[in-house]
Amino acid sequence: MSSPSPQLDGLHYDVIVVGAGLAGSLVAKQLGDHGWRVLVLEAGTRTLDTWPGHLDAMKAYYGALAKVPNAPYRGNIAAPSPDLLDLEGLPGGGYRANGYFVQNGNLPYASDYLRAAGGTALHWMGLTPRMHPEDFAARTAFGYGRDWPIGYADLEPHYRAAERVLGVAGDAAEQRDAIGLPFPDGYCYPMHAIPRSHLDNVLAARLDGIPVRESDDAPPTTLRVVTTPHARNSTPDLRYDQGRGYRPAGAAGLPNYGERCVGNASCVPICPVQAKYNPLKTQATWSCKVDLVPRAVVSRVLANANGRVFGVEYQQYDDPASPVHTTRTAEADIVVLAAHAIENAKLLLVSRLANHSGQVGRNLMDHPVLLTWGLLDEPVGPFRGPGSTSGLECFRTGPARRDRAPFRIEIANWGWSWPTGSPSGDVARMLGITGDSGQPRGRGRFGTGLREALGRRIGRQISLQFAVEQDAESRNRVTIDPALRDRLGNPRPVITYDLSDHVKRGIAAAKAVSDRIFGILGAEDHTDYAPGPFAPGHFRYDGRDFVYHGAGHGAGTHVMGDSRETSVVDSWQRCWDHSNLYAVGCGSMPSVGTSNPSLTMAALALRSCEQIHRDLMDLHRPRVIRPVRVARARTGEGRT
Amino acid sequence: MTAPASPTDIAGEPAVVDEPPFRVPRDRADLHTFLQAALALEHLTIPPYLTAMYTLRPGTNRPAFYAVRAVVLEEMLHMTLVANLLNAVGGRPLVANSRFVTGYPARLPYSRDRFPVALRHFGVAALETFLRIEHPAYVAEPPGHPSVAGDEGWTSVGQFYAAIREGLLSLVRAMGEGELFTGDPARQVGPQDFYNSGGEVFPVTGLASALKAVEVITDQGEGADRTVFDTDDRFFGEVREPAHYFRFNEILQQRTYGPQDTPASGPSGPALEVGWSDVYPVDSEAKVRHYPHGSAVREAAERFNAGYARLLWVLECAYGGRPAVLREAVPVMLELRDLAERLYRNPHPDAEKAARGLHASATYEVTEAHFAAARERWSPDRG
Repeated sequence: MSSPSPQLDGLHYDVIVVGAGLAGSLVAKQLGDHGWRVLVLEAGTRTLDTWPGHLDAMKAYYGALAKVPNAPYRGNIAAPSPDLLDLEGLPGGGYRANGYFVQNGNLPYASDYLRAAGGTALHWMGLTPRMHPEDFAARTAFGYGRDWPIGYADLEPHYRAAERVLGVAGDAAEQRDAIGLPFPDGYCYPMHAIPRSHLDNVLAARLDGIPVRESDDAPPTTLRVVTTPHARNSTPDLRYDQGRGYRPAGAAGLPNYGERCVGNASCVPICPVQAKYNPLKTQATWSCKVDLVPRAVVSRVLANANGRVFGVEYQQYDDPASPVHTTRTAEADIVVLAAHAIENAKLLLVSRLANHSGQVGRNLMDHPVLLTWGLLDEPVGPFRGPGSTSGLECFRTGPARRDRAPFRIEIANWGWSWPTGSPSGDVARMLGITGDSGQPRGRGRFGTGLREALGRRIGRQISLQFAVEQDAESRNRVTIDPALRDRLGNPRPVITYDLSDHVKRGIAAAKAVSDRIFGILGAEDHTDYAPGPFAPGHFRYDGRDFVYHGAGHGAGTHVMGDSRETSVVDSWQRCWDHSNLYAVGCGSMPSVGTSNPSLTMAALALRSCEQIHRDLMDLHRPRVIRPVRVARARTGEGRT
Repeated sequence: MTAPASPTDIAGEPAVVDEPPFRVPRDRADLHTFLQAALALEHLTIPPYLTAMYTLRPGTNRPAFYAVRAVVLEEMLHMTLVANLLNAVGGRPLVANSRFVTGYPARLPYSRDRFPVALRHFGVAALETFLRIEHPAYVAEPPGHPSVAGDEGWTSVGQFYAAIREGLLSLVRAMGEGELFTGDPARQVGPQDFYNSGGEVFPVTGLASALKAVEVITDQGEGADRTVFDTDDRFFGEVREPAHYFRFNEILQQRTYGPQDTPASGPSGPALEVGWSDVYPVDSEAKVRHYPHGSAVREAAERFNAGYARLLWVLECAYGGRPAVLREAVPVMLELRDLAERLYRNPHPDAEKAARGLHASATYEVTEAHFAAARERWSPDRG
């Protein structure tokens, strides 16, 4: 097979970026705009930045039996991705992991990601809350997890920059007032908040101002429904940028399209109009200094004996259905790993780099999500608009964090779709198709009776999503095993994962809060945490059953810190052991708080670009060699 | 460039659209008349374009679908810019009345030819109609110009807009800019209220923005200065796209324009796939009364007309001092799309027409009763 791609062996770039997802696309954008020559190597395919490619993904999504986040995106054996369908719960509890990941922990790491140009942010929900200032020092303040070497104030300007490049819609005054987030005076988001759903308004009318206690002896917490910032096109705010306003970025691949969310209600796994930000939009604005080579799986980072890296080795393939590939190298002054927390760790481990601290691959975190669901006494109009437009933010911090993990509550706009597969799951149940019993089924409903029953039920479905903070634990880790490889011969991630008691207490508290909220709402609770094939996240704690889900927020695997002895990267996401190797992404986060992490990841990436740019300037600044006498005269240090 | 031949399959007498007298507007009242006529003109094309778009079988003919869709949205942008212009000079844009929605087929206005604009399914005849509507008018001097005889009558849409342009200039000369542009700025629809298409809505607050509005309307339709492309790159920093005429020509020729192509060269870029048979053929003179009472098709056609009245009512509210309610047009448009899909997929209820392969279609017969119902159902105050 001949390769149409240019031979890159021997070519030298200023920067190699590994991965064309959210972080990598932003890094390439910033550095390319500074004039640096950037090579982006993407393990997956690049088919989605054209409109026919997007429509192909839409078709795959419509045809998929299980609408999981990776459903629209074609499989790829050269660069396999983990999939939610890889996990299977066992009848009596416990789980089985198939697919790309090898899992040997007590509990499963229950999230996926996507290896393709555009990355996992092709199927993200698009929520962009900032982290709480107290999240950055949870160890000092609350005695669990790890502290960041930087704080909210260090990151604040980069949050603003990220909110610009992602195009965030939100209400800064409300975020300040309800959560206590500091913003500079007069700051507004690029676009007005995505309007609240009808359900948000129904819940706000019944919950706002009501105090709840998570247990009888706990202090009361006052509920308040707060709109969530989104990287999703809404109405531009004319006040933004000192009155210059903001022009929303439309779809990649079709001009002048998708410049406003119209409520298609399939943000995960794919926004049909691309009103939701995805990294392809950033890639469309890359300067000509940026070269993207897809179907290039980086297999190793190459380093000199002196500790500096000089490039990468990668495997180029043509056919994602075959393991045939060519191994090549590319060189650069600086290498930036931006391949996802788990892939970054895998690459560092296989390259035997950056691991003086022994922390590479450790501290794997996600947001374990507890779902609760019920029926309200009136229709609430679910399955319209983005998956969540508002949340309850009042359990994100506070002294209770000493005892249990904090959580953020998302109000789900899509009924019971996540917990029970609604609405198709409701149809199946009412038709009498109840799964794999193997028995003849009884009489189901059909016709008008079915439609009416569905309308009565689906229209009243509500669900709450409790995203619980997971603390960094060194036992939760990614390792590699030479015996376990993918079809290109690269090691598959071996994952050891569990939840700490701190997290489990947070999950139990979340359920207690849910019970009280459902009580206030007068909702009929249908939450059920029985073990079974769709509950790989089942566990028992304190005599009760729980089931958690993954949030897709993998983090911590190349943890940031203030010392080479205890962390992998410094606050610039630069590896302590290699001054020209960066590892960017959620893998750098020492803690994840209760915020969806993409905005923070973007802010960190933009911050790192400043240091990468300085590094490159230093490398390119000529050393001026002058006769000694002249130097003395110039500096006035002359002596005999 | 030769204009396409006139189709001769239309049996009925086309409706005639009111045209202002053949002259440059003389005073403010005259200007109001001209701009209200421009509003009707921009709207006139929307039902035929929507018909072409909705008769594409769902999921097929994507390039054609997106091309027609983009043009429809730009016509809506043009309507909105005209409304801004009319508001800026102290007028009141009126779109929610049965006189505003002409019957179809209608005679192409501002043209010497007796050319029928009909609600045709996607195909060669529809595209030839669209090319006729968007035909670039290189000789479009306004009335009164030495090259134009006084009694000639309108010869093109470009000429009509040239007259508006000339009228704006002369009225500003006569009465001063501040005196002409007396409209309340709060009535202007801005970029925050509408987008999702090429170009951008901007407030009209004086002569410069008024002239820019006129230029955007004509350039997006016909192309800028004898080129294939519009001026979205220059005005809005957007991707430059072929103007409407040339986008329709791309579909007809099944080939796209390359960056160096000119109107004379024709399209020489990559081939564009068109499935001429992936279409619901419709009766281009369909009326609701052709559908039997009580039939599901009749009900669907009525609901579509009622929905279309709601769309115009929302627009009238937005143009009448409540620009933010323009967003309400989005769900109404989505509802129209769904209603159309449910309507067009049915065979025509008439057995003879069904045998010819014709399908049921929306008729755009919007009555005062529809508008009354729309006002009853929704108002921006209750919104």
